[in-house]
Amino acid sequence: MKIERKKYNATVPSMAMGDIAFLLLIFFVILARVQDDSHIQWEPARIDELDQAKNSKASVIIDADNKAYLNGREVGVASLAGALTEILGESEAGKRTILLKVHKHATATYFEPVIEAISEAGGDLLHVLEDERMKN
Amino acid sequence: MKIRRRNNLLVEPPHSATSDIAFILIIFFLVCASVQPDSGRKQTLPKSEEQPEKKQQSENPEVGVSRDGVVLNGNPMKMERFGSEIKRVLAQKKREVDKVVVLKSKPNTPYERWIEVTNLVQKAGGIITLQLEEQRTVSVD
Repeated sequence: MKIERKKYNATVPSMAMGDIAFLLLIFFVILARVQDDSHIQWEPARIDELDQAKNSKASVIIDADNKAYLNGREVGVASLAGALTEILGESEAGKRTILLKVHKHATATYFEPVIEAISEAGGDLLHVLEDERMKN
Repeated sequence: MKIRRRNNLLVEPPHSATSDIAFILIIFFLVCASVQPDSGRKQTLPKSEEQPEKKQQSENPEVGVSRDGVVLNGNPMKMERFGSEIKRVLAQKKREVDKVVVLKSKPNTPYERWIEVTNLVQKAGGIITLQLEEQRTVSVD
């Protein structure tokens, strides 16, 4: 007489699939949106009325040591206009915003050529500032 | 006599998903912190021209900015007065072209002062154009 072995139903648990998909989604969203410039030291100037930045193409930073950075990478002011022109490409009007983050004590010698370069590349300039009312 | 049936089953919430939930919450707050939208002030700059017409330039208001103060058409003044003065000057200009304000900054002008002045000009309806100092190359034989 042949005794049949008991069959076990082995299935891959699919309960965590939703979680995994969600985590992957968030991971790629962060990867796509965050340009890592958190290591750059700068302090924004303050004014009373601010606009919200939408669809920015790139960010230019002038840090506390007056060094210029394009999307977190150090760049020379002479090559900035060319690099921005390349980034902006054929983007339509309204989608050519360049964020400019300048340390509040940086002097005109350093930030004016950068503004000129953004203008030359045809970018829509947005000075990133802090709300004066949020001071304390 | 009625005997009450006791049903004291131990019901515990499942703990297996707790770590997943914690992880998702951490990521959620990380995203909230890092993807905060930047806010600031838009600035429209006219395209730079190498040789602007002299006649037109002289009709436009000129603002000089330095570390110590601000100068409007050659008259030094305090920041408190500058806001009302630039408003008055620009109110007299009818054409859009005449509302272009030529901004000359001293090399030592700090950004926060520059922003303060340009903010007042923009609020008064002015369009800022920068006049950068020309760099000269002197060759020595």
